[in-house]
Order: sequence, then structure tokens, then C-alpha cells
Amino acid sequence: MSPIIQSLLLVTAQVIVLLTVSPFLVGLIRKVKARFQCRQGASVFQPYADIAKLFRKQPVISTTTSWIFPATPYILFASTLSAGLLVPTFISQTPLNFSGNIIALVYLLALGTFFLILAGLDAGSAFGGMGSSREAIVASLTEPAMILSIFAIALTAGSTNLSTIVHKTALLEGIATDPSPHLMALAALFIVALAETGRVPVDNPATHLELTMIHEAMVLEYSGRYLALIEWAAGLKLAVFLSLIANVFAPWGIATTLAPTAMGIGLLVYAVKIAGLAVLIGVLECMFAKLRLFRVTDLLGVAFILALLGLLFFYILRS
Amino acid sequence: MQISPHTGSQLVDLCSALLLLTCFAIVAQRRLSACVDLFALQSAFLVLTAAVVAFLTGNHHIYIAAALTGVIKVVIIPRVLKKVIERLNVKRELVMNVNVPAGLLICGALVMLAFFITQPIIPLGFLLTRDSLAIALAIVLIGFFTMIARQKAVTQLVGFLVMENGLFLGATAATYGMPLIVELGVFFDVLIAALIAGIYTNRLQDAFDNVDTNHLTVLKE
Repeated sequence: MSPIIQSLLLVTAQVIVLLTVSPFLVGLIRKVKARFQCRQGASVFQPYADIAKLFRKQPVISTTTSWIFPATPYILFASTLSAGLLVPTFISQTPLNFSGNIIALVYLLALGTFFLILAGLDAGSAFGGMGSSREAIVASLTEPAMILSIFAIALTAGSTNLSTIVHKTALLEGIATDPSPHLMALAALFIVALAETGRVPVDNPATHLELTMIHEAMVLEYSGRYLALIEWAAGLKLAVFLSLIANVFAPWGIATTLAPTAMGIGLLVYAVKIAGLAVLIGVLECMFAKLRLFRVTDLLGVAFILALLGLLFFYILRS
Repeated sequence: MQISPHTGSQLVDLCSALLLLTCFAIVAQRRLSACVDLFALQSAFLVLTAAVVAFLTGNHHIYIAAALTGVIKVVIIPRVLKKVIERLNVKRELVMNVNVPAGLLICGALVMLAFFITQPIIPLGFLLTRDSLAIALAIVLIGFFTMIARQKAVTQLVGFLVMENGLFLGATAATYGMPLIVELGVFFDVLIAALIAGIYTNRLQDAFDNVDTNHLTVLKE
């Protein structure tokens, strides 16, 4: 098989995996929350039906909006999906690893957030503007924490390429086994993941028309296929973060070769790992209340300091 | 079971990193009872660290110190503090001398300071636990900072106890623990100090209806 066909197949496989898995994760978290609240809850496959329904509906666009408003869902979806192609899922080789590393991943996600913030302002509604301003606060506080934690990981593995990092850790090569910096970076990245995907201590994904919402306030004006794309992109972002956490910190079982059996095992292990993380998020959402908006800085400050400590530990404990 | 020195020292590093992690949680936490819970958790990690060191080095007297830490700092002192908090009319600390994000940044700087101070000393050591010395110093400094940054007597007491945890870790890291008789004396002191501070907090509550230690600065004859 020529390398080009091989990488094309890899891209296709990863796109299919990410697209199918992301609504399932959203559904799984909702189900866990429902069971904790003694409700039956919707089926875990409900988000698929929701997205399909939204795609069939006609979108309504306010006459006061500019080109940014209809373009944003496509930009958001495309940037999140290409960020997803930089993260290893079931195989340690990532489809786009020739074209970008872990830093590109951070800023591809930031690109989507940036356009979503603009789109929230575009329609000129009070809710949208409020959501955008809050999202800007959260995004600007999570970015340093995320970059620093990623640097801590990259230093221990000796590379900023996610494929190399995961590959090395999976095979326990080099110095990628030092636990203390990894622990700090994991804690920081988990807080960042909760904040970036709009989960409970920072934002509540289950509310509409509440004064505390962040993500939902920005996308309030969207409908039809635009909303479907945005919801799907939000699910994708969750899948990207969970894959990142699962594979960077616990890459055991991931396929390191292209052999069919290794890939089969990798796929299975990947599904179990991210489903486990999704259940964990669901449980955490039931245990903790949403923070007041002005307390979110405390939480993200903790994430930043943890990431910084991870970096420091790398230098101090290397002896 | 034989563990290689490299893995052993990584294990000790990991345990002391967990101790430092709980320090930051205490600095970021506003609820008094949660601060006490976090202190109990930190002490539990300290017990774990001491037990790991005892296991790796075969110094059995550290087990006794670890067990005493478990009884006094994980069970008794947190209980006493919880009892004190039940009597208070404050559940959380709203005003601090230094706000939380700034406090966290200062603590980050303190950790760096501790690392730089111990940097010339650490390579001279040959013990398994020598890296933990930096973390121990950082914990002492953060405990001290907590005492400065907070206004409530209970959280100041927690800061003091965190400092003591740091000292214990430092002693374990530098010399595999002090002689048992010294440890016993220190534990007794800490226990009495915590009890006295608990009573003092109650008196403060009775006198001012508040446990803000700033009231004490304007005391007159």
C-alpha cells in the first residue's frame, strides 16, 4: 500500500471515529447525570437524532447579521475536526502529524472559539454579547494553562508532536515516565478541558435562557443546520479533549503499528477509555455546583499554577 | 519485593507532589470546613509518603511516626477543628488579605524560591528522598503564606499545621526522620497547639461574635 493511500485511509478512519463518537459522549454524560438524579433520561443515542432533526430544519437568520454569522458554524466545525486529526485516537499515528503539532492543536481550537465569540456579538442581542464576553474571559484564562501543561508533557517526552509523545509513552521509551510533572499537567489539563467544553464548574450545558450561561448564550440565535453543526462541533471538542487526556496520560493499549489486530484492540481500548472519562465528567457534574462567574478565575488560576508546577517539577526532579 | 532506587525515588517524589497539590487546594479554598478536610487529606498523603520511605529504606521507626501522624493529624485535629467550626457563625471566608488568584501566583513564586534555595544543597545529598527537600520547603513557605493571607483564626491554624506537615516531610527527606523521641515531642506540641488554638478561637467567637484575628490588633487595656 502506498504511503499516500495509507494516510488517506487513516484520515478517513479518524474522521469517521471522531464524528460517530462525539454525539455518543454527549448522550452518555446526559444519561449518567439523569441516572444520578433518579430520572430515566433520554437514550444515549438521542444526540444523533437531535442533530439529524436539526439538519432537516430550515435555519432562521436575523437580517442584522453580517457574513460572519452564517460562516461561523462551518469554520467552527472544520477547525475542531482538523484539531481532532492532530490528536491520536485509536492509533498512535495521527493523520495530520506531518502538518502540525500540539501548539497547532491549541490554536485551531482557539480559532473556532474566536469566531464563535464574533458570531455571538454579530446578531446584536444582549444575551449573545454577554455570552461572548464571558467566553472571552474563560478562553483567555484557559489558554496559558493549556499551553503550559502541554509544554510540561512535551518536555518530558522530548517532542511537541503528539504522535511521538503518545508513541514514546506507550512504549515507555526515554524519560516519558516521570510521574510528577505528568500528574500536575493532567490535573491542569482536566480543569482546562472542563472549562473549554463548557462543563459544570464553569458553565452549565443543560440550561437555556439563564443568566449564568456562557456557551448557550452565544449560540442562542442559531437554528436549523447551523445549530446542528455547532452542537456537533461542541461534541467534537469534547471528544478531542477526552482523547488527548486519555492518550497522553494513559496511552496503554493504543495501536502502535498498522496491524489489524493491534488496531482492533486499540479501537476497543479507546472506546472504553473515553467512555470512562465521559462517565467521570457526568459524575463530577452531579457532585459539584456551578461556580459563580467571578470564582471561575480561582479555578482557572489553580489550573495555571498546576501547569506551571508541572514545568518546574520537570527541571527540579530530573536528577 | 525489591524496588529499584530510581523507581523508589520517583515514588517518593510523586507522594510529595501530591502533598504540594493539596497545599494549593487549601490556598484556593474559601470554605472553612473544606480547608480542614483538605488538611486531613494532606496529612493522609504525608502518612503515605512516610510509609513509602519507611518501606524503601527499612527504617522501622518511621512507621511509628507515620502511624502517629495518621492518628493525630488525620483524625484528632480535624475533628477538633470541625467542632470549632460548628460553633462559628462563619462558613466561608469572603475577605482575604490577598485574593485567591494573586495568592496562587504568590505561592507559585514561593515554590520557585524554594526550588532555587535548595538547588545547591540537593546534589550534595545521597538519600533516596533528597528531591523532596525542595517540596518540603515549599510547603513550609505556603503554610506561612496562608497564615498571613487569611483573616480567620481557623484557616490561620490550618496554615500553621500545613507548615508543620512541611517540616515533617523535610525531616523525612533530609535525614529519614528525626529520632523518635523528638518526633513524639513534636507531635505532642502540635496536638496541644491545635487544642489551645481551638479554645482560643472559641474565646474569640464569644468575645467578638467573630473569629477575625484583625480585631485583636485594636485591643486596648
